[in-house]
Order: sequence, then structure tokens, then C-alpha cells
Amino acid sequence: MEIVVASGKGGVGKSTITASLVQLLSHKKVAAVDADAEAPNLHLLLDVKEWEEEKEFVSAQSARITNRCTQCGACDDVCIYEAIEIKDGIHRIKDYLCEGCGACRAVCPVKGAIVIENALSGWIRVAETPHAPLVSAELDVGRPNSGKLVAEEKEIARGWVKEGKAKHLLVDSAAGIGCQVIASISGADLAILVSEPTPSSLNDLKRMYHLTRHFGVEAKLIINKDGINPSYRGLENFAESKGVEIIGRVPYDEAVPGSITAMKTLIEYAPESPSAKEIVKIAEYVEGWL
Amino acid sequence: MKVTITGGKGGTGKSTVATNIALLLAENYRTVLADADVECPNDYILLNASLQDEREVLLFKPRFVYSKCIKCGLCKRNCSESAIVMFPEGFPFLLPNLCSGCRTCQIVCPVDGAIEDDFRLVGHTYRTEIEKNLVLITGMLKEGEERSYPTVVEVRRRAQKEEADVYLFDTMPGTGNHVAVAVEDSKVVIAVTEPTPLGIHDLEMILKLLKKLEIKGWVVVNRSDMASVNHRPVVERYGAEIIAEIPQSEEVLKSYVKGTPLVRKYPNSEIAGIFRDIVKRIEEVM
Repeated sequence: MEIVVASGKGGVGKSTITASLVQLLSHKKVAAVDADAEAPNLHLLLDVKEWEEEKEFVSAQSARITNRCTQCGACDDVCIYEAIEIKDGIHRIKDYLCEGCGACRAVCPVKGAIVIENALSGWIRVAETPHAPLVSAELDVGRPNSGKLVAEEKEIARGWVKEGKAKHLLVDSAAGIGCQVIASISGADLAILVSEPTPSSLNDLKRMYHLTRHFGVEAKLIINKDGINPSYRGLENFAESKGVEIIGRVPYDEAVPGSITAMKTLIEYAPESPSAKEIVKIAEYVEGWL
Repeated sequence: MKVTITGGKGGTGKSTVATNIALLLAENYRTVLADADVECPNDYILLNASLQDEREVLLFKPRFVYSKCIKCGLCKRNCSESAIVMFPEGFPFLLPNLCSGCRTCQIVCPVDGAIEDDFRLVGHTYRTEIEKNLVLITGMLKEGEERSYPTVVEVRRRAQKEEADVYLFDTMPGTGNHVAVAVEDSKVVIAVTEPTPLGIHDLEMILKLLKKLEIKGWVVVNRSDMASVNHRPVVERYGAEIIAEIPQSEEVLKSYVKGTPLVRKYPNSEIAGIFRDIVKRIEEVM
């Protein structure tokens, strides 16, 4: 089974909850996928001391303007990424924007004035954590298409399932609803949405929920930081109106920032804390689906 | 002058900082706040405003005119996204979700009129007048659409059309090119982080991006008392500077959950004073 943890909004507790679920479900042979290549954090909570494997990943290309350029500016007119700048009269490609589509080369009247080259997208890394195998990725800053790194990570993790190294995947998705999140939920069996009781988080939860509908993935909800806004019923009302099951309410307590600072899962750090106890209950419930 | 609020990690308080600073700037300057977090824009919620003046963000896609197509296959061979497949009869067919809208197929097509312009909707932008000196431009990616970049670019274009003294951009979390396109050309970039190993890890990634863009980073440590991880070594390594530390407070939480910005709800609070100090720093470089 493939379960993705997502939220839309960042910083609501996806990685905290995923790390604890990975630990609590390790006896069911889960593997963890950190699907946030632009801000990967799961390895910090799963106590990865060193990576067993690291490989460079090349998915996108990048354009380069050579000294054959006649400064005609045709490339600048077609670049939808606005990735071409003129500095001291010389056209240059801003490599932190370019996606290597090749439109500039196609319009360029001078042969060899623009070349399209393979460019590093980022790194894919694998580690054996104390609880489960982990695959993680890091986008090289300013590069496009982090979603392709995530798709590659999932290929690796699905390979583990085929080999029998793992039976189930827990995917910690990025914030947002863009390419990384779509790569995370495509092919997933279930989405656990994490939200906090604030209007912003509800707003993003709605967008995330629509995305799960769009891709036909069933969604469940965890209310995190329960109690920080006691009179607020926005999340409950939304869940009820859409028929989304609330599978847990994790209170906010001091153990949460403590565990993050100690770089441990909440379960290791403070198993008796109210937040940890609630996640244990959630894990037991999730185990029933596996 | 362009000022950008970013941070790498999600949920560190970018939008809270951006909305409060925008309101303070608007006391003395014509200010545009551009919400470039197009996947999950929330500035309008924090400002308790509605989205107005909707415009579509349209992305080019090719329409193949089969009566003119000579089946040469150049469009398919030059598509970097593999968004074009060939029918057995030799005609091209578009997989629209993969198409990036780059027009390379149309440029390389040797037959005039064989690939016509068509468009698909990928998002919307909005313009809301918050108060006399403050306009909010919001970008909103269409749900199900993977590419946020074109909508960020439209937010940038629409914001820059406004007459203003300060253009304040609020970016997405992350460090990819959809963040870089919102950050570039900024005079000042403020990275909002939190003092946890996760916050520091992602701060380092965003500072790496700023170094590449040759922009000096200012760092705001939010929830500075929630944990005790020392961010100074990372900040110093990248030549950045910590300009403010914002402790946790009931007032921040209350104004956040009630949808009234802190500098309006608690103008005399300690935290409002910290926001005023940040604005003073911005004024010094204007």
C-alpha cells in the first residue's frame, strides 16, 4: 500500500507525523519517501547519519549562449521563462530559471550560437534508518521540475516493494499543490491530509483535497496542533461536508519542538506526551489498512 | 524597489511577516504586495480581503492542423517534455498536461500554419485594493496543474504594472526556479526561518540560491524561543545577516487565527515593534 502525507500548507506537521508513523509501522515493513526535494527534512528526524548511496540526477537540460552569438535578441522574444538577460550588451542565459525547452535554439539564426546541455537537477540519496529504508532527494537550487526527482524516488521505492525489501510506502509530500505534490499522490492508494485549525490551513486543505479528488485518491484528515484555536470549527465543518474521515487530533505540546530539536521522532523523544500518544493511536488505526 | 520574503521551509511565517510589513510600509509608501505563493496563496486571508479583478493565466499549446501537416515529426523530436506522440498514421498528437507551452514545436515546424495557437488555462491572478496605499496582487494555480512557474511570472508582470514605491513579494516554500523567478532582481531578500534543525537545513538551501543570484540575505528568525538551535554559523557562512528575532506570543497566534494582522490588532505590542524595526531597515536601503 502506498500512503501519501500531504497538506497544501507548509509547516503544519507532515514530517513530524510521517517520521513517527514510519517508526510505529516499521514492523509492517514500510519504506519512507521524502518527497520534498526543495526542502528535504525527513532524514533529519529519522536519524540518518550517512547516506548509503548518492547519485546525481539529470532530468532537465539547460541552454547556453556561445561566443558565436550576434546579439540579435530573437531568443529573448520567445523565452517564456524570461531566462535571458543582457549584461554589458551580451545575451546570457540565467541558469536558475532555464528549463532547457530549446525554443531559443530553435529561433536562433546562427548555428552553434545556442547549445542545449544536460544539467544537474539534483541528488537522490538512500539510507537505512533505524526504522525503515529511506529515499530522499535534493534539488540543486534554482533548477526546474523537482517533480521529476520525486517521480524517480518513487520508482526506487516501488522497486523495493517488488524486491520484497518493503511492503508499504509512506510518502512525505512537499507543501503546495504543484509538480512535487502531484508526483507524490499519483498512484497512491490513500492520502492522509494534515491540517491545523487556522483559516490559512483550511484554505490550503481545500485545494489539497480537490487535488486528491482530481487524481481519484481517497483522503483522510489529521487535525494537528489541535487546541491552538479552540472555538474554530472550520476543519470539522469542511470534513463533514465532504465526508472526509478525521482519523486523529494531535494536540500541540512542548514535546513536538523538543523532538525536532533533538532530531528524533516524537515517539522516541517523548513517548508519554499527549501528542505522541495520539499518534500511536493513529498508527494503530492506519495499521488496520495495511 | 523590490523586497522579497522567502524562506525555504514551509510554515515558518513568510506570509505573516509579508502582510504585516506591507501594512506598515503602506503608512508612508505606495506599496504592492505580490503573493507569488501561487500553489497556496494566503495573504488575502491574513489581510481579511477578498480576491477581485480576476484574470486568466493562459499557456500556449499547439493545435495541429492535420490538413497542412506533412508528418515530418520535427515537432515531436524537438519537444523537451515528450508531450507530443505520433499517431500510427504519422500525425502528431498532444498530451496537454506535459506541454510546457514553450512553442518550440511551432518554431521548428517547416509548414506555415500547420501548428496554430491554442491556449490552456493554468491559473488566475487577482488584484485587490486593501487600503489607500496598498494593492495586493495574488496568483492562484489551477488545481491539478503541475507548473506553477507561468502563474508566478504573471503575478510578477501584473505587480510591476502598478505604480508603487515598494514591490513586496511573498514566495512559495522551496528553492526551485519558481522561487528564483520571484526572488530575482530584489534589492533585499528576507528569509524567514525557525530555530530548528529543519528550519536551518532549509535556510541553508535558500541562502545558497541567494548566493547564486548575488543577493544579500537578511534572516528573520521566527518563533525564536521555540528551540535553541544556533543558526549563526550557517548565516555567517553565506554572508547573510540576522535582522530580527520574533519570539512566540499569544498575540501572533490570536491575530493569525482571527484574520486581523498583528500590527493592526496589537499596534503597540512588542512584536509590532519588531516589524517596525524591520521596516526601518528596509527604508535605509530605499
